[in-house]
Amino acid sequence: MATKEFITNDPRLDPVTGELRVIAPGQSFRSVTAKIADIVLTPHTSLGWLLLLAVSGSAATMLLVAVTWLFLKGVGIWAITQPVAWGFAIVNFVWWIGIGHAGTLISAILLLFKQGWRNSINRFAEAMTIFAVVCAGLFPLIHVGRPWLAYWLFPYPNTMNVWPQFRSPLLWDVFAVSTYATISVVFWYVGLVPDFGTMRDRAKSKFAQYIYGMLSLGWRGNVKHWMRYETASLLLAGLATPLVLSVHTVISFDFAVAILPGWHTTIFPPYFVAGAVYSGFAMVLSLAIPLRKVFHLEGLVTDRHIDNMGKVMLATGGIVAYGYGMEVFMAWYSASHWEFFMMWNRMFGPMGWSYWVLISCNIAIPLTTLWVRKWRTNLTFMFVMSLIVNTGMWFERFVIVVTSLYRDFLPSSWGTYRATKWDYMTYAGTFGLFLTLFLLFVRFVPMIPMHEIKMMLPSAKVKTAVEAGD
Amino acid sequence: MTPKTEAGTGAMETGKEQGLTLAEVRRNLQGVKGKKYWRSIDELAGTPEFEAAVLREFPDAAQEWVDPVSRRGFLKLMGASMAMAGLAGCTKQPDEPIYPYVKAPEDLILGKPMYFATAYPFASGSVPLLVKSDAFRPIKVDGNPDHPYNRGTSDPYTQGTLLDLYDPDRAQETTYRGDNREWTEFMMTWREKLIAAKANGGADIAILSTTVASPTLARQWKEAQALYPKAKFVQYDPVNRDTVRTVLGTKDVQYSLTGADVILSLDADFLSGSSFPGFHRLTREYSERRKLASGPEGATMNRLYTVESSTTTTGLKAEHRLALRPSEIPAFTAALAAALGVSAPVPSYGWTDAQTQYLKAVAADLKANAGKCVVIAGEQQDPSVLSLALRINEALGNYGKTVSFTDAINPMPTVQLAELKGLVNDLWSGKVDWLLMLNTNPVYDAPADLNFVDAMRRAKTTVHLGKHADETGSITDWQIPASHYLESWSDARSYDGVASVVQPLIDPLYKSHSAHEIVQAMLDESTKTPYDAVRETWQPLLAKSTDGKTADFEMNWRKALHAGWIDGSALPTAATATVAAINAPAPNSKDAIEVQFRPDPTIYDGRFANVGWLQELPKPVSSLSWDNAALMNEALMVRSGLAEQDIVEITVNGRAVKAPVLVLPGLPDNTITAYLGYGREAAGRVGSGTGYNAALIRTSETMAVAAGASLKKTDGIWGFAVTKSHYQDHRSKFFGGEGTGNNSLEADEALTRGIIREATLGEYKANPGFANEGETHPKVEREITLFPNWDYSTGNAWGMSIDLNSCTGCNACIVSCYAENNIAVVGKQEVRIGRNMQWLRIDAYFEGDLSAPKAHFQPMACQHCENAPCEQVCPVGATVHTPEGLNTMVYNRCVGTRYCSNNCPYKVRRFNFLLFSDYETESLKLMRNPDVTVRSRGVMEKCSYCVQRIQEAKITADKENRPIRDGEIVTACEQACPASAITFGNLNDKGSRVRKLHDNERSYAVLADQNTRPRTLYLAAVTNPNPALEPVVEEHAPTAG
Repeated sequence: MATKEFITNDPRLDPVTGELRVIAPGQSFRSVTAKIADIVLTPHTSLGWLLLLAVSGSAATMLLVAVTWLFLKGVGIWAITQPVAWGFAIVNFVWWIGIGHAGTLISAILLLFKQGWRNSINRFAEAMTIFAVVCAGLFPLIHVGRPWLAYWLFPYPNTMNVWPQFRSPLLWDVFAVSTYATISVVFWYVGLVPDFGTMRDRAKSKFAQYIYGMLSLGWRGNVKHWMRYETASLLLAGLATPLVLSVHTVISFDFAVAILPGWHTTIFPPYFVAGAVYSGFAMVLSLAIPLRKVFHLEGLVTDRHIDNMGKVMLATGGIVAYGYGMEVFMAWYSASHWEFFMMWNRMFGPMGWSYWVLISCNIAIPLTTLWVRKWRTNLTFMFVMSLIVNTGMWFERFVIVVTSLYRDFLPSSWGTYRATKWDYMTYAGTFGLFLTLFLLFVRFVPMIPMHEIKMMLPSAKVKTAVEAGD
Repeated sequence: MTPKTEAGTGAMETGKEQGLTLAEVRRNLQGVKGKKYWRSIDELAGTPEFEAAVLREFPDAAQEWVDPVSRRGFLKLMGASMAMAGLAGCTKQPDEPIYPYVKAPEDLILGKPMYFATAYPFASGSVPLLVKSDAFRPIKVDGNPDHPYNRGTSDPYTQGTLLDLYDPDRAQETTYRGDNREWTEFMMTWREKLIAAKANGGADIAILSTTVASPTLARQWKEAQALYPKAKFVQYDPVNRDTVRTVLGTKDVQYSLTGADVILSLDADFLSGSSFPGFHRLTREYSERRKLASGPEGATMNRLYTVESSTTTTGLKAEHRLALRPSEIPAFTAALAAALGVSAPVPSYGWTDAQTQYLKAVAADLKANAGKCVVIAGEQQDPSVLSLALRINEALGNYGKTVSFTDAINPMPTVQLAELKGLVNDLWSGKVDWLLMLNTNPVYDAPADLNFVDAMRRAKTTVHLGKHADETGSITDWQIPASHYLESWSDARSYDGVASVVQPLIDPLYKSHSAHEIVQAMLDESTKTPYDAVRETWQPLLAKSTDGKTADFEMNWRKALHAGWIDGSALPTAATATVAAINAPAPNSKDAIEVQFRPDPTIYDGRFANVGWLQELPKPVSSLSWDNAALMNEALMVRSGLAEQDIVEITVNGRAVKAPVLVLPGLPDNTITAYLGYGREAAGRVGSGTGYNAALIRTSETMAVAAGASLKKTDGIWGFAVTKSHYQDHRSKFFGGEGTGNNSLEADEALTRGIIREATLGEYKANPGFANEGETHPKVEREITLFPNWDYSTGNAWGMSIDLNSCTGCNACIVSCYAENNIAVVGKQEVRIGRNMQWLRIDAYFEGDLSAPKAHFQPMACQHCENAPCEQVCPVGATVHTPEGLNTMVYNRCVGTRYCSNNCPYKVRRFNFLLFSDYETESLKLMRNPDVTVRSRGVMEKCSYCVQRIQEAKITADKENRPIRDGEIVTACEQACPASAITFGNLNDKGSRVRKLHDNERSYAVLADQNTRPRTLYLAAVTNPNPALEPVVEEHAPTAG
């Protein structure tokens, strides 16, 4: 690249700054604000949106039905059994939490690294994080045998004088996930405050003015406000950054701390984090591509974004592939019969198919094709790829949870696992919940941070350059 | 309100038209309470008006709901109509307020159990028992520890009889053609019949009974026979001892394995369960010779050869097992007899080299150990096998040493099949007017060719006395609920010929009666109670002291009840007996498929079909629960174009039955094992509809084996509940397999992982530490741990040792655990997906080629790890370590994350995925052990080392200000084990048995390399193979043909 000739009329470069262009040319402060705010403030709710809401709402209702039945009958309506005592619930939990990671990575780490391109996608990526954490957080609560006592996992002062058992990774999970959820919500909300101010000012109806007024917490665009806002954002980004690494690390401890072959692996923390980011970016793509199409946001979410996300996927996918490779290598190199058998069983046992689904979806297909920029910027390709990677990442968790459990130490207690309709309904139901929340978000909250986009406009930049030149 | 009332009036008028209004019902019931209340309903229930009212379901209900006062009355009536099914109820207390004891009864301290000696009368010999009773409810059945026959041990059936007592589906009322009647009404009718029959000597009365175990019943019948000389008494059980009767007449043979260095079993499954007479004693004596208590120096062991036609634990425990088709065994026995100098004709047969070699080696070994060996013949074999086996024993000089004879312990020894055929002929010829069937179910289990149902219908009056209104009881005129043995007085003899009084522990739960009462009605004192009848039987013996002088009968009676057996009642033994010389028939041709009928290892002949514990109990070897199957070897299955779980139509004797296919490793080719007792239609909520009825193709000519079966695949898949997966090892050498697919993957892995460790006697002597040496046999590392070690320098530290050399995999421990720990029965569907709740299981691994495997049985329960993986991962601290080293579940604290189970390498934790415990059924509440929590949904559970028993012993010891003695705490599994394979005790006590066993060089920890440091250690098995005999390996050719 370095030797490449500088072409002045390259449409990917900003003619003024000479930097790679993030958003399409021809945007102004006014057009950006109008573009984004009008999606929310328009009084016309599109039929498509209503239709989608109806579908996702029905799916969310199915979740309600499935969980109600679960509470009435017990977790036995799921396929979990001996020896596979964890099933879809944990797979889905890890998967959803992983999805959330991209949002935090985009909003926090990329902010700290001053990656301007993140601004277009960070709002909805963060929203995605929160909704994914909602879906994820549901599972640990409902998967316990006596969900009405799930609060015993929290360390709260009680008359029994009993504390949780602090050596258990499940307890660490409770802290990790609840911290993560809190920080994500706060970070997201703080980022929204200036935009809520804009919305308040632009809203026509009294009701909307009132609501957005409340939400904007008295934002006036004062310089002091901006200063505090920037500081808060930076601090929160600083807080959220370790969470990107720690949450999935802690979740990987659920497995890595156990003694089960296939779980008991020191490589789990990094590979879980990489996998989480991998699947998270895939999910951002799955959402961004239709969003920009439907709401005509091509100017704000550009091919450059898609391309960049493809690169991140390529990198994290590479780490994940290294993780898989290491597992196989260690199964042989460790000379541990447990590991060796586990790997053989994972690949060639009765559930071997799931391993090969995982390898094809996570490694074979994406890591061979994502190298090509042409394909990386091909929206259809990237959309399909994002679905493939998310399938693969779901199977990764399935392989880890189920295929390690169903044939463990004592061959006498080997078993199998066959998901029931309630498993599928619950999983599909969380999609409904996720989509419902996301649709509501798209309709009522500016999905792209207006003030951050505006900072990237040439008009904002030029002024700075002129001032610097003085 | 007004319109509703009007509507109500309308409804009332309608009610008037139909003849009975609620007001009338109420009037009838006015002032009537308690039992009488129910009886009044009972009487009302007889009227057609009431029945019509109940049929309408809501008799004139409309106005009742709006009238707040009479709504209660309505609900009362609704309740009554719901109670119609079991009008008797089982409430013992009056409705009026009553007050608790001011002075407790002398014997009863609430919360403190009492123990009563009694005996379980079983066809193959009664099992002497000591039954635990809590607040007058029997809650645990165990062997009588003082009785010389079983020394406190028991078996699955005996353990299961407890649930049989509390079975909610038991018949509760005497019925006549479906209508409830009083017992007295039956007795009046019966007496009338007897008076009428007096003139012709009772010629038109026939009684068909299960095998009579009671000397008192035999005496009663004898006396009745004197009054009604022409009346008939026939005994029939589908599993009977006709073989012994044919060969020995009224004598029984007894084996003693104590002095037997070499044991040859000829299709005698004496280690599997009490369907084989003398199971408890034989298993004990067999395992006593395998304890290797004196260490490797000069260690001696017995050696077991088994020639068998099915695959049983007896065969799999044998050093050398030979699988022969059922019809080959008589010929093999004859050949063996000839080799040992018994003159008997030998049918010529083309034995394979391996079979010939086996025969030669066995013959040589028996000859070398003449007088110190025993040949045991199977009860389900051709009589010639027993005849020849006894003659072999005689020739080897075993008579008086390992083989002896007594009078039959059955007080009325008969050849049952012949008698039954006679009865059926009588029925057809119309000779029988009254047919009484006592505790038997011939409609279900009589040989198919006798067409018993139609024959039975020729009798004018049919009476069935049975615990259930079963297949027979539901079509007889009279159905009388039979008392359980824990509810009524009787007596019985155990295998060793010693009589016990069957002492009831509880009043009959329902209006049930015993066979004694029905037979007693034929006598002059027609209403003499069973209690008096039993006392009368033993009066002559107990009124004498041992030296023949008169003694105080009452004192001796009390002594007999207290001890659990009657002193001096033992039958005389003799060293020899007249053995009928029966020659071996020639075997069937090799391509004839033979179907052999066997009592089921868990539900016997179907009498335990409604006992959930036994239905759910995985059968030894096959690990199949809830069903029987057409068990065959893989070669036959593949040749017949079948696969496991296919439904095959077996046609034999011109009859057909559809049965699901399951492979049983080690079965001889062209042989199908069919367990009896399944395919019940009226067994109850648990037993009905399980398995298929093998009796449908069992005819009177082919009671043991039916040859020439043809197999036809039919549509459908059965879906077995097999508790253990079976995979074949197709792994290549690189992945640790053989690549042949002939071996079991589980067994190959179990051996590689050092889960099973075994040596031959020679290897053990050469290297006593074999169990803890080598790469696959890691040793327990006591000190390496991340967390600080627990301190056990003071107090107790519990531990267990399981001797794999003794364990025969009979399952008695599992059923005992069920009863002791209130373990839930989950049903077939749940077992199918792996949710069975047994805290203890017996892992069976089939080593080597699956066509002729070697098996290892390993009881597996919570190992109470010192470094427990479960404890560390529980987020709420619901599974914790006690200061005495137990790994304890705190049910109240458990939220059910199941993380502990995932992290348990032994997978011994059991989770209540749904509400498995039955909180509704009243009768089951009486059965539960009050010292153990009944676990609800969403809670993890597991073996607790019977912590309630530990606590009880600790309290007792505390009160007496002494340490707990070794052997004072006996876990439920240990208590039941007939092989004494399980030992529990205090590891801190240097002199304790368990400490010594833990220090034994054969002691090893399963998964020692995981550093879980389990408190349950296993004693590696040592076998004693005959050097002259390589293991018999048959060509494994599933694709052949």
